Order: sequence, then structure tokens, then C-alpha cells
Amino acid sequence: MDIELRGISKRFGPVQANQDINLEIRAGEVLGLLGENGAGKSTLMNILSGLYSADTGEILIDGSPAIFTGPGDSIANGIGMVHQHFMLVPVFSVVENVILGVEPTSGVDYLDLEAARAQVQEINTRYGMEVPTDALIEDLPVGIQQRVEILKVLFRSADVLILDEPTAVLTPQEVEEFFTIVRALRDAGKGIVFITHKLHEILEIADRVSVLRQGQIVGQGDPASFSEADLAEMMVGRPVSFSVGRAESTSGDTVLELAGVSLFDAAQDARLVDINLSVHGGEVVGIAGVQGNGQTELVEAITGLSAVTTGEIGFAGQDITRASVRQRHRMGVAHIPEDRHKSGMVGNFTVAENMVLNSYYDESVTSGVQIDWRRVHARAAAACLSYDVRTPSVFLGAGSLSGGNQQKMVVARELERDVRLIVASQPTRGVDVGSIEYIHRQLIACRDRGNAVLIISSELDEILDLSDRIYVMFEGRIAATFDNRGGGADRNAIGLAMAGVSQGTNPGAGRSGNRGSAA
Amino acid sequence: MSGEARSSGPAMSPDMKALLVPAIDSRSSWRELFILPLAAMFLAMLIGALIMMATSVAPETILQSFIAMAHGSVGSIHAISETLTAAIPLVLAGLGIGLAFRAGLFNIGAEGQMVVGGLAAAIASFLVTGLSIWLHLPLVLLVGLAIGAVYAAIAGLLKAATGAHEVISTIMLNLISIRLLDYMLRQPFIQKEGRSDPISKAVLETAELPRILEFLDGNLRLHAGLFIMLAAVAVIYWLLFRSKLGFAFRISGENPGAARYAGIRAGLTIVMAMAIAGALAGLAGAIQVSGVLGRATPGFTAGIGFDAIAVALLGRSHPVGILLAGLLFGALEAGGRQMQVDAGVSIDMIGIMQALIIIFVAAPLLVRRIFPPLFRERPRGGEENG
Amino acid sequence: MFMKKAALTTGIAAAFMLASAGGASAFTACQVTDVGGIDDAGFNQTAWKGVQDAMSSYGIDGRYLESQSETDYEPNLNSLIESKCDVIISVGFLMGDATKTSAEANAGQKYSIVDFAYDPTIPNVIGQVYATNEAGFLAGYLSAGMSKSGVVGTFGGINIPPVTAFMDGYYYGVAYHNSQKGTNVQVLGWNPASKEGLFTGNFESLDDGRAFAQNLYDEGADIVMPVAGPVGLGSAALADELGSDALMIVGVDADQTQTDPDRAHVYLTSVLKRMDSTVMQVIKQAMDGSFSGGILLGNLQNDGVGLAPYHHFDDKVPAALKAEVEEVRAGLISGAIKAGG
Repeated sequence: MDIELRGISKRFGPVQANQDINLEIRAGEVLGLLGENGAGKSTLMNILSGLYSADTGEILIDGSPAIFTGPGDSIANGIGMVHQHFMLVPVFSVVENVILGVEPTSGVDYLDLEAARAQVQEINTRYGMEVPTDALIEDLPVGIQQRVEILKVLFRSADVLILDEPTAVLTPQEVEEFFTIVRALRDAGKGIVFITHKLHEILEIADRVSVLRQGQIVGQGDPASFSEADLAEMMVGRPVSFSVGRAESTSGDTVLELAGVSLFDAAQDARLVDINLSVHGGEVVGIAGVQGNGQTELVEAITGLSAVTTGEIGFAGQDITRASVRQRHRMGVAHIPEDRHKSGMVGNFTVAENMVLNSYYDESVTSGVQIDWRRVHARAAAACLSYDVRTPSVFLGAGSLSGGNQQKMVVARELERDVRLIVASQPTRGVDVGSIEYIHRQLIACRDRGNAVLIISSELDEILDLSDRIYVMFEGRIAATFDNRGGGADRNAIGLAMAGVSQGTNPGAGRSGNRGSAA
Repeated sequence: MSGEARSSGPAMSPDMKALLVPAIDSRSSWRELFILPLAAMFLAMLIGALIMMATSVAPETILQSFIAMAHGSVGSIHAISETLTAAIPLVLAGLGIGLAFRAGLFNIGAEGQMVVGGLAAAIASFLVTGLSIWLHLPLVLLVGLAIGAVYAAIAGLLKAATGAHEVISTIMLNLISIRLLDYMLRQPFIQKEGRSDPISKAVLETAELPRILEFLDGNLRLHAGLFIMLAAVAVIYWLLFRSKLGFAFRISGENPGAARYAGIRAGLTIVMAMAIAGALAGLAGAIQVSGVLGRATPGFTAGIGFDAIAVALLGRSHPVGILLAGLLFGALEAGGRQMQVDAGVSIDMIGIMQALIIIFVAAPLLVRRIFPPLFRERPRGGEENG
Repeated sequence: MFMKKAALTTGIAAAFMLASAGGASAFTACQVTDVGGIDDAGFNQTAWKGVQDAMSSYGIDGRYLESQSETDYEPNLNSLIESKCDVIISVGFLMGDATKTSAEANAGQKYSIVDFAYDPTIPNVIGQVYATNEAGFLAGYLSAGMSKSGVVGTFGGINIPPVTAFMDGYYYGVAYHNSQKGTNVQVLGWNPASKEGLFTGNFESLDDGRAFAQNLYDEGADIVMPVAGPVGLGSAALADELGSDALMIVGVDADQTQTDPDRAHVYLTSVLKRMDSTVMQVIKQAMDGSFSGGILLGNLQNDGVGLAPYHHFDDKVPAALKAEVEEVRAGLISGAIKAGG
């Protein structure tokens, strides 16, 4: 089944989300759709999946015009969407999740589970997905859950699959397995739209690529004819330098030291187990790992949001194990939280208010019990300028900024003051390439000023790009450590460590007396 | 802290000046605060009229009833006095509820806080004797305020310590307060002499809020609580939007995750916000006793604590919005009375219209759909300014 | 938008003229109800019936304003003053304070309050009170004549004079029958000398009404007079189950065969408090200029209290007894018999 989008335009108020877009999705082909956040990818795919209707333009399916008035229409036309956030019921089995909503019944309302199971199993084996069909979703790893999502759309007889940022939650190994499945689907004649902002993935999997910028297609063609730099330039609209080109680090005194830190949650489950790590002034340390392996807890322990159960945390020679969030903040711990919407900012507050979110009580912006908003506004305006936060006014609601500008606002707030340690958790999640580049530069600049930088990211590329040393976390432990000065760390070895495959620590990483080794 | 950020005046760059131009959002907030409630009121009156027609009230009676409502709420000095008198406790309790909303707490307990505050104020008003009005009246009001604060703080403490949801605990505290009132009003040191029904002794003259329009007409009930209400609006505005504590409240309410991130202690914030909310409700109760009723009786709060929830919602938890919403509700109450007298339309109609207004305000999208021209986004720099 | 406003303004102006032109009656009587509301099947409704009777008999205007809570009393009275009412009628002793305050502030305004009186009296308020002991006396006499077991009973809501007046009269009525006819009928549940008796402590619980009547029945009473508003309905339900041969009920306030028609057959009679009658009298006085503040006592003589018809028991009450009740009634009116015993 071939789909052609012809002259699609869509406007939301003053924002032209899509403008005159022409796109072809062909059977047996992977179309890579590349674009920054806010470039119009989501709008376009929502039009294709029937959630929105285009202002102008038409959708042709095998040459004849189709009109979608709702998601049901696109499913009926063989278009299936796999969302970035899974929509699965954890306590249901794979089969139950797959058939949810389209349950095959016989008689009045008898659920024919056997017929369904056979059908699901057939799809499962045809594409080599190796999903245990009777397992409960909650027992399955993320990579398998994603395959269940794909099973769902295939079960609904989809000929065209839209995969929205499918690799964001996967380890490098899982990505490879995932690509195998995608290729199998393609070879079986399915049309696939692969949405991503990761350039190397496009180069690896896509048969054709279309680049979207500011609602328009700015380039398409055979990926082989483009380099990463070409694609990035098309995507951002200006030359982007990929690697931040960090200079050799000049490591100084130990700024952060965790010794034997363990953390148990309320249910007495171990979230962190015997963590020993150190971060020195003038170096970037990266924490790699698949999400949910203790990174969140590690950040909370360091910033004071969670009390550790055992162990000690030292900061610039002082014991801060029992220090409060504010004490640590005052001592010079900056914290870029992993999810800005959940904790890093308040969307309904103005940019200025967000700029003092965690320092509003500081003498520098208060007089007595009152906040001196004039000073706050002036400071916010200055920070917006020096950190490239693009907003028409500091009085604008932060929620109306783009993701990149929101994150830059958070970064500006944290880096603008005198700090010794920057804990940056997923610092570029949901951020456009231009802003990623900018934020990376700021973090490196911070390092070059002699500060300690700890980066926690599930994007291995980000870790490899920025870090001088790398710790890999798996199931709450430091599974391995790597030296990455000069970019020497073995990507494959890190990937295996992320997946929990026992592995030796590469030599040189133990420089700072680190005992972290195989998990 | 970066030194250059504090520099101002001639050194400021044009870019920075542009960033500091305020009031980008003020038009939409103006819409939220004024146009939306007005449109909601119009719709409520429309549906109110339809309901009256459905119950076979003659069209001229319906028109007459709306005129009576206008007349009874703003048509005379008496009407205005009644409107303001009714608005005072609604605004005060509404401010407390709105503040709690801002801090992410749903305080259903304003009624109970009014009851205990008013009861305590009543007791202080006749048990304490021999003081001048300058000492006695403030004492009585402060007692109401303090007891209301303590009572609400119980719900706050329960939430902070055990996670008990404040909606449940404040509802339960409401029930307790009502029974407590009945019980206390029968105690010999409180109960009015010679009465066997629950009713308190009268408030001493030194504890009465003076009626401020008495020089015009003895029937004008408007009392000095008006000034307390206006002061409270200003104080709560300052607290929410100027003070450190208010900023902490607002972060906690908007995004608990961000509050935790910012090192704000959730438990303390909850207790403080509830206590302030309770203080305002308790003050409202004390003012009713001292300024309007002259004694405590069962049900003296007359559901004002519940109406105040609607006032806070209608006012979008903004002190100025709450002031306006409280005045509107006061006007509906005073006007509703006239509506019944002049047109013989049941007082229940007012309750229906109040509820309809709330529904429309709670469903702003609906109102926007019905009146698209009022809410259409015009390009910036249009003919209107905030 | 502007056009809409203009149209609205014109409409309002037109309606104003309409409103001021219409319905200017010579005399207006206004009533403020207590929290029970205008249709409480109790004194609010009965008093409003008096206003309505006056409307149809004298061609006046009548209005009412319902109080939703006790805090409404004062503003409601004030609104009626604003509305130029000729006489304002309030209801019940709960409104006593508010009526007094309003009356003292507006000396030119005529007020009357149902079922309450002031001591000392207020020049512009007529307090309407009822000699329910007189009617209770008749009910007591009748009960003593009708009782087969020689035991009758009564109980009250709470121990306050408006309640115990009924019970006093009832007690002395029985006693009068005993002294006149040489019977020895006992009254359970009230002792006028010690002011002690049976009280439910509320005016709501139908369960209490049933339980108290059951107690009295177990002690031998075959006629019970509950003086506790709706509580009595519980007693009537018990009588309904036991059968009216075993237990009869004497209703109070209104003719309860009308307010409780399902169980009309258990009511021997009812002790009437004719608030409609006294309200109408007050309106008449206000109209003809004979209004003067003080107390209007509704008694047997002016029909302010009375005994309801026997209805279902009409052929069971012996003609002789009926005649005796009429004699007693005449005696009470003339003063030959004292209801106080």
C-alpha cells in the first residue's frame, strides 16, 4: 500500500505547523522522517493517523483520495501508529493487550481467546519478534513491550506503520534487534515511517529520508547521499558541529565523592547498592544506563531530595550526607532535573518566576519576607540573554516556550549562579538539535571553568560526546567504569554493561580510587 | 550571583529592555477574570429564564424578577448595603479557599472553620467584659481568626503526617464543628438566659462591629467588616504574589515535583496554607457574629463556607477575582430576596442560577464556544489593551 | 455587542415601566417564614393560609419571603420594609429577636409575630399566642370519656411552655372529667405540679414517637396525645398497627386527619391552634386602624384554638359525651370552668 500526502497545510492560530507538505510512503520501504521538536512531525503524523484534519491538501491511498475524520478511519485504512509512550495494560497478558478494543468474539459476547492467541502467535513468528504471548506486560523488558505495540498495529492489519521515536527507550543492543524487526517488516512489504532526531539511525535504517523544518520539507532523498552533518544542517538550518570538541580536561580536586552509598525505598527495595563514585573539578563524568536502573535515585541522593540509607556523600571536603536540598544548593550544587515538566519548571509561571524557582528565598532577590520582583526580572532578562533563551518577554508563561527554550531556561537558572558541581540529568531530553548543541557547549564551558559536571543520560551518544569518565549503572549498582578521555571508550562494551552483561572494567578508569566493577 | 544582572538604568541593553516589557499576558487574564464570569452570568440568567418558563412562570414575571434582582442588589443604598454585607464573609472565606487552591489544597472545610471561629468569637464577646471597644473588638476578631486557623491546621497536619486527604478530613471536621456548635450552645455559660433551645448570649456592645451607614438609616446593616475584607484582599494579594511564602505556596500548588526540587518542605507548606485559609474563614465567622448576627445560633454560618468554594472557583483563586465573585454572589443573594418579594419567584431559583454560573465558569471552553467573538485571539497590538 | 447592549437597555427600561404601573393594591400583608419554608405543613403554612384568606376576603395583596437560614431573618424583614408592606408577619419564637430588633428600628411599621409574645410588649408588634390549654382541656375531657382502660397518656418534644400548655390542659381536662363523672382516669406522661413528664428531646424522630407511644400503651394507655410535631406521626403509625380499638391518637396544631390522611382513622380528634384565624384578625385590625401593639390571645372564644371534628370517630363518640364537651367548651368561654384546673 502506498500513501501520498499532497500539499498538506495545517495552521494552529498564528503557528503554521505544516506548510504544503508532499510526502510519499511506499510499500516495502522505510521512510526516515527527521526533524527537531516543533518542526511539525507530530502534526503531520497526527493528520495521517486521523487525529487532526488538514486545512488544505489531500491524502491519497494507492492513488485514490481518502478522507479521515477520526483515528478509526486511518486504522481502517491500514495505517497504524506506535507511540513513543506505550499504551499497554501492565496486568494484562500480551495477547490480551494486543486484542484490546478489537476482541474477536463468537456468540453474543464470548471472548474467543484461543483464536486470538493463534493469530497473534502467527504474526509474532512471521516477523521474528519472539514475544512471549502469554506473559504479563509488567514482567517484560521495555524492548519487548515495544514489540507488543507493533503487534497491536499488525493485528489490526496495518500496512503502514508509523514509529514515533522508537529507539528512545532502548539500549544499543536492543536498537540493533529492533532494526532487525523493522527490516523484516519492510521486506514483508509494509511501509514504515521512522520518526527520529538521531541522525545515525536514519543513515542506518532508512531507505529514504525527509527532513522537516518549521513545518516544511527542506530536503529529501537517499540517505546514502547525505552525511550526518548535511542532515543536521538541513534540520537546524545552519551548520551544526556535532561533537562539542572538548579540550583535554584539567582535572582538579575531588568535588563530589560518594562512598558506599545505598538507598532503599519505602518498600525496602534496594534502589542504590554500594555506590562509590567521584567527580573532580574540571571533568565531566557521565552516568550511562538504561532508564530505571537507579539513575533517578542517584541524582536525588546527590542533590538531597532523598536521604541515603547508608554511606556518605562528600562535597568539596565537607560531609553533606545529611544536608538539605537548600543547603546543598547554597553550597554550589546545581541540578538540572531529568524531567523539566515534572520538577524543573512551572509551565503556568512566567519565565522570570521560573528563573528563581529554587532561589526565590535568597537574599539577593528578597527584601525581608518579600520577593523583589524588579531584581528578579532584571536578572531573568540578563540570564535569558546570556543563555540564549528565546522569549519575547520574561513575563511570558514558560509553558508557551518551545521545549528547547524551556530547557535552556532551566540550564540558565542553574548555571547562572556560582556553582561547583552541576548535576545534569537528561539535560537534552525533548530538545531540538540546535539547543542540544548549545546546552552541551554550556556544560563543557562550565567544566572548563574548573567545575565538576555529572551528566546522567540514557542517550549513549551524549555520554560519549561529553564525558571524560563514564560509569554504567545497572540495577542500582555501578556495573562498569570507562575512561573516555580522548573518546577512547568502547561503545559496544558500554552497551553490554548497560544490558547487564557482566564485563571487566577497562583499565585506567579506576584512577580516582574507584572500586566499581562488574555487577 | 551575577553582578551584571543587577545593573540597571542606562547600562541596560535594548534587548534586555524588550524582555522587560510587561503585560503580554494581561489581556487574556483580563478575559479570564471579567469577561468569562460575565458571559457565564448571562448564560445562567438565560437558562434561569428558560427554567422559569418551563415551570410556566409568565414572561413578564420573569422580566420583572430580573428587574427586581437588579433593583434588590444595586438599585438603592439599602440594596447596596445588603449586597456588601452578604459579600463580606463570602470574600473572606473565599480568599482562604482560593489561597489553599493556589497551594494545591482543596479546602472544603471553610464552613467548619467559620463555625468554630464564629463560636469562639461569640464566647469571647460576652465572657470577656470590661474592655473598651478598641481592645474588645480586635480581641474577638483575633480569637475567631486564631481558632479558625488551628481548626484548619488539624486537616493540614493530618495530611502532612499521614497523607490523609484534606477533602475527607475537612468534611469530617465540618460535621464535628456543627455538632460541637449545638453542644456548646447548650452550655450554661454560653446559652442565652431563659432559653432552652441552643442559642448563645448576645455579643456585648464593645465587641460589635459598628454599622457604618447607621447615620443614614438604622436598617442599613453594612458594617466595618467591609474594611477588614478589603484589607484582606490586599494582604492575600501581597502574600501570594509578593512574598516568599506565597511563592512557595504557588509552586507547591502548580507543580509539587518542582516544589520538592526547590527544597520546599511539603508538610510545612500544607499546614501553613491550611492555617491561613482557616484563619480567613474563622475571621469570616467572627465577623458574621460580631457584625451581623449579634450571637451564635445553630447554622449561623448559613452555608457561606460552601458558597465561598464557588466564589473562589469563580474568582479563579485570584484575590481580585474573589472580591468580584463575592460581590456578585452577594448581589445575587440580596437581589434574590427582592426577586421573591416583587415577583414571587422562589428563592430556589437563585440557588439554581448560582450553580449555573459556577458550571459555566468551571467549563470555560463551553462559554468560549457559545461566545466565540468575545474570546477570539486577535493579533497582538490590537485595538484593546489590558 | 453594542447593539445587544442597547437592545437590552431598552428592554429593561420598558419592563421597569411595566413593573411600576402594574398591581398597586391598597394594602399589602407580608410574611417572613422561618427555615421551615412556606410549605412546612406547620405554622408557616397555616399562617400563610391566614394571609391568603385575607387576600380573598378583603382583596389585599399578600407576599412572602422564605428564610433559608436563621441568618436570613433580619435581612428578610428589612427587604419587606423596603417593599412597603403594611403589616409584616413573622413566625415562631426563633424569629422573636430579629422581629424585635426590626420593630424597634422601624417604629412606624406594623408587625405581628405568630406564636410568640413580648414581655414587655412592643407598641408596633402584635404577639399572637394561643390558649392551647383550653383546647387541650377539651381533648382531655373527651379522652377521659372515651378511654376504656382508664389510662391516657401524653408526651412532648421539649419541656417548654408552648408544648406543655397542651399537656397542662389535657391533664386538667381529664381531672375535670374525673371530678364531674366520678371516674378515675389516670394521665401518664405529664405532671403539671412538678412540671415533669415525658419528652423526646426533639421534634424530628418518628422512631421516638413510636417508642414513646409504645411505652405509654404498655403502661395501659389507650389514648395518647403527642405534642412534638412530626414525632407524633410515629405514634400514629403504631396506632395504625395496633388498631384504633387498642390505641387512639389526639393530634395537635392542625387537624391531623388532613395532614396525615393515610392514618386518619387513628385520630380521635386534634387540638387546633388556628394561626390562620389570628393572622387574619391581625390583618383586619391593621386595615381598619384598630391595630395596637400587644398580645392577641387566640382562645376558644375567638376561634384561635379549638377541637377538630371527630371524623372517623363521629359515630363512636356517644352523643352524651359530645354534648358534655360542648358544655365544657361553653363553660371555658364563659369562665365558669378554669382550664388551669
